[in-house]
Amino acid sequence: MKNLLNEFRANPKKAVVPAVVAAALILLAFLPGMTKPYTTIMLGSVIMYVILSLGWNMFSGATGYISLATAAFFGLGVYTSAILGDYMPLPLLMAVGGIAASVLAILIGVITLRLRGVYFTIFTLGVVKLLEVLILYLEIHLNGTRGRFVVSYSFTDVFYALYILLIVQLIAIVVIRRSRFGKALTCIAEGEDAAQHIGINSTRVKILCFAISSFAMGAAGAAMATRWSYIDPGIAFNANYSFLPVLMVIFGGAQSLLGPITGAAVFAYLQELLTTEFPYIYMLAMGIIMILAILFMPRGILGVVHDLVARARKRKEAGRDAHT
Amino acid sequence: MKKIMALLLAFVLLAGLCACGGKTESAKTNEDGGYKIDRNKDTIVFGGSRSMTGVYAFFEQSAYGPIYKMWVDDINAEGGIYVKEYDKKMEIELKVYDDTSDLSTMTRNLEKVIVEDQVDFILPPVSTAFLYAAAPIANKYGKILVGAEGGSASLKESIAKYPYFFSSLNFSDTQAPALAEIFKESGVKSAYVVYIEDLHGTEYSQAVIPALASISCDIKGVKSVPADIQDMTSIIQDAENTGAEAFLCLTYPDQGFLALNQSIALDYNPKVWFMGSGGGFSSTLDLYGKDMVQGIISWGAWNPKSSPACAEYFEHFKEHWKDDPNVYYDYWGLVHYYAGLQCLQKAIETAGTLNNEKVRDILASSHFDTIIGDTWFENNLIAAECFMGNVGQWQDGVFEVIDRTDRATSDPIIPKPVWPK
Amino acid sequence: MLVTIFNVISSGLIMGGVYAIIAMGMSIQYGVARILNVSHGEFIMVGAFLTFMLVKLNVNPLLAMVLIMPLMFLLGFILHRTIYKKLNDVSGSSGAFESNSMLISFGLMFVLQNVALQIWGSQQQVYAFLQRSVNILGTAIALNRLVVLLLAVAISLLFYLFLQKSRLGKAIRAVSQDATSAALMGVKVHRVGAISFGIGAVLAGCAGSLISVINQFNTAMGMSYTIIAIIVVVLGGMGSVPGALLGGFILGFIGTLVNYIDPSLSLVAYYLIIIILLLVKPSGLMGGKA
Repeated sequence: MKNLLNEFRANPKKAVVPAVVAAALILLAFLPGMTKPYTTIMLGSVIMYVILSLGWNMFSGATGYISLATAAFFGLGVYTSAILGDYMPLPLLMAVGGIAASVLAILIGVITLRLRGVYFTIFTLGVVKLLEVLILYLEIHLNGTRGRFVVSYSFTDVFYALYILLIVQLIAIVVIRRSRFGKALTCIAEGEDAAQHIGINSTRVKILCFAISSFAMGAAGAAMATRWSYIDPGIAFNANYSFLPVLMVIFGGAQSLLGPITGAAVFAYLQELLTTEFPYIYMLAMGIIMILAILFMPRGILGVVHDLVARARKRKEAGRDAHT
Repeated sequence: MKKIMALLLAFVLLAGLCACGGKTESAKTNEDGGYKIDRNKDTIVFGGSRSMTGVYAFFEQSAYGPIYKMWVDDINAEGGIYVKEYDKKMEIELKVYDDTSDLSTMTRNLEKVIVEDQVDFILPPVSTAFLYAAAPIANKYGKILVGAEGGSASLKESIAKYPYFFSSLNFSDTQAPALAEIFKESGVKSAYVVYIEDLHGTEYSQAVIPALASISCDIKGVKSVPADIQDMTSIIQDAENTGAEAFLCLTYPDQGFLALNQSIALDYNPKVWFMGSGGGFSSTLDLYGKDMVQGIISWGAWNPKSSPACAEYFEHFKEHWKDDPNVYYDYWGLVHYYAGLQCLQKAIETAGTLNNEKVRDILASSHFDTIIGDTWFENNLIAAECFMGNVGQWQDGVFEVIDRTDRATSDPIIPKPVWPK
Repeated sequence: MLVTIFNVISSGLIMGGVYAIIAMGMSIQYGVARILNVSHGEFIMVGAFLTFMLVKLNVNPLLAMVLIMPLMFLLGFILHRTIYKKLNDVSGSSGAFESNSMLISFGLMFVLQNVALQIWGSQQQVYAFLQRSVNILGTAIALNRLVVLLLAVAISLLFYLFLQKSRLGKAIRAVSQDATSAALMGVKVHRVGAISFGIGAVLAGCAGSLISVINQFNTAMGMSYTIIAIIVVVLGGMGSVPGALLGGFILGFIGTLVNYIDPSLSLVAYYLIIIILLLVKPSGLMGGKA
């Protein structure tokens, strides 16, 4: 922490990003009291997607293994609330949901040791779908029902729950980045074999990263479930929770912290705006944007902004040089 | 510098989000809305989330959809509902969103309609599962929800928790015993049950199977099918092998039609061929022709012969929708849905206010005169004796009520004739 | 008992044949163009609906299937030449291309599905074709299912022969085995890639037509078929067309068997299969590329 402050003192520019993020977070804290109820609901949804995107990027962005298991972790959190909701308060539900998700992540990590690339991705999607149909089967045949009621919390409560979760997640990301663990992750991303040569246990690091990143997803699921009042396997393990964060990070840019946040904010907001009036146009737009983003914005919209600014600066400098 | 730009972008986004929220007088609104009279109000706004597209689109098109829309048209043609506290007649305005048959979209829409659009009353969503999800939401915000296309058998236990939830459709709890009575009288000794893996299917199977067992009808087989099942040949052949006298398809229309098509193709002719939801729609009659559907039994039930009021309403309905080829006649819910709406309308008139709490109390405790006669809610469900019938059968192109009560419009034809070639 | 066996076999062949066609289409797209086409199911859906439109104009569905083949080919070919070619240009490595092309396919899936929704709506559709039953070996089988069975098997085998014997087929196989050497031998790799993508689309379209003959279909049907295609492709070995053929029939039979025992377990069985498969032998039955 002290190191951080010293760094900021030495190079004030570095402090700008965190400062603005901090300001935004503070603003968010007071929002529910100041604005229309529906805005709070909507922002809660935005924060949920930010959490999912940041979590996804923490592992997949860092290691290059595209995971589609996000919906599985989220779904486990949802079911945690559905099953245990009457017995524990919300913070505990989120913790248990997060732990359940992490356990699943460790399990997946351990058994997919040899899987790379496309196979790993397919496997993670398979986990999501398997959980969905298996739980449906068990619910129908063992419990004679398809879905469950979930204990209900007010949208203000859930907003603050997700808000605090986001802060915790952001702190975790920053801490990890600056730690040895984070540096090990970077080494792995740059070259797994080389990293292993210098003594990094890449398997352990990857699995740990996967587990940590999935905690927030499970916790977010546990929180959101309490807004829905009734859930079933299709809602809990909806594959969109796997696809959308990927889209959001690609759109926003995977390289920085701000990329996933921007992408998630833009898309979640668009979704809220369009779903009621134009549900299908929204999905269509998403597909088109995804294609365009991958083809033309490989580093996301923040990458584009970054390039524009760099080009503007170069032009300015060139102009200055020309005059000297 | 670049970081500053990126940050400004994020900040602008955030500011934008807040701006669209904005400070309004209703900022102090608490979760349950709090009722206030707005003197500038001219209309009563009914809002909701309906499945205009997706797998449940059929119901919005042909079940409850045409009913509530015609109800609104009829009321507005007379100038609206008279609301005493406003001392004027107020027309109804509809604010309905499409949930694309997706449950989480439905809950979001419903909440939006209540919290943001702040409608006066809400309409129910499609299907049993959606009703279950909507009931707690409606209750949380103190909004009356009169369910239409969907059941409530297991919700019955939770009704005490959801005083704002009502149901206007008869369901497995009255229909299963009625079906069992028919089987008993016609000497049907065995049955094969197929149900859909959805709340609708589980509710029905859990009612039908015990009801049949209680009349010593042997259950030869039970199969559950996923909603997207593509091939029921093995199930039909299994049913045939067991020699079950009755084949029951407790599913939604898609699976029912699949089973019907394949039964016809395989020439499977049990004594009783029962189709669940969708069987009692005129679309089934149109699709297959009256000779093919002859003898098919399904949930219901009413027809114009049930009462003069029903006949009159039916003529009005036919006339109103004569130019729309997508509107069919639902011989299960049609008159019952309308009766539910009539109850709500009269409750509003009696209460003289748009305050849901007051209207709810009247709705729950009064008797109303509707097209199905004297109608009232018992524990928030329309009382069993009010329904025009529970089971129907296609006979000569008419969906006859075949309950073993005085509501019957005809006797059952069992065994049904073999599929015509 | 015999009836049951006959039914399991015939249903297994029908499902297997359709699965094989679907999987071969995806396999050739991956094997040659290195694209894991997650929107494959949407092409199947398009095939079903194009057939349906022709059927509504009183065209025989089997004829319709043939008529839409060039349309499907063009659709696939053009998409490849525009989107995927551009992706190839901007992708750094082949690894990046593979993962990016998969993501692009996701986008394509959303686009195709929702465009189809706008055009054809969301209702379940079905049409009657040869619905009467015929008696084979003393048991009844619906005539349309019999026809689909024969056609599915025929198309699968024909396609396999095409790959083995024809010149284009040999070029395709050469590129899928080793693109560099194939290029050295004068094969226009990029062109073959686009053609393969087009052929994959044609196969998907055929599968869609056949499906529309015997089942209900709607604009949301794509995803489930894509997943089946992925399972079969992994089962058979990614990029191996003979593997896809074999895997399709195997999965078809497994599916029918499970469906017979308990229909609600079919999907559970499918996903279990792929999970176990990926853990035990990700390269599938025919080896293929890792």
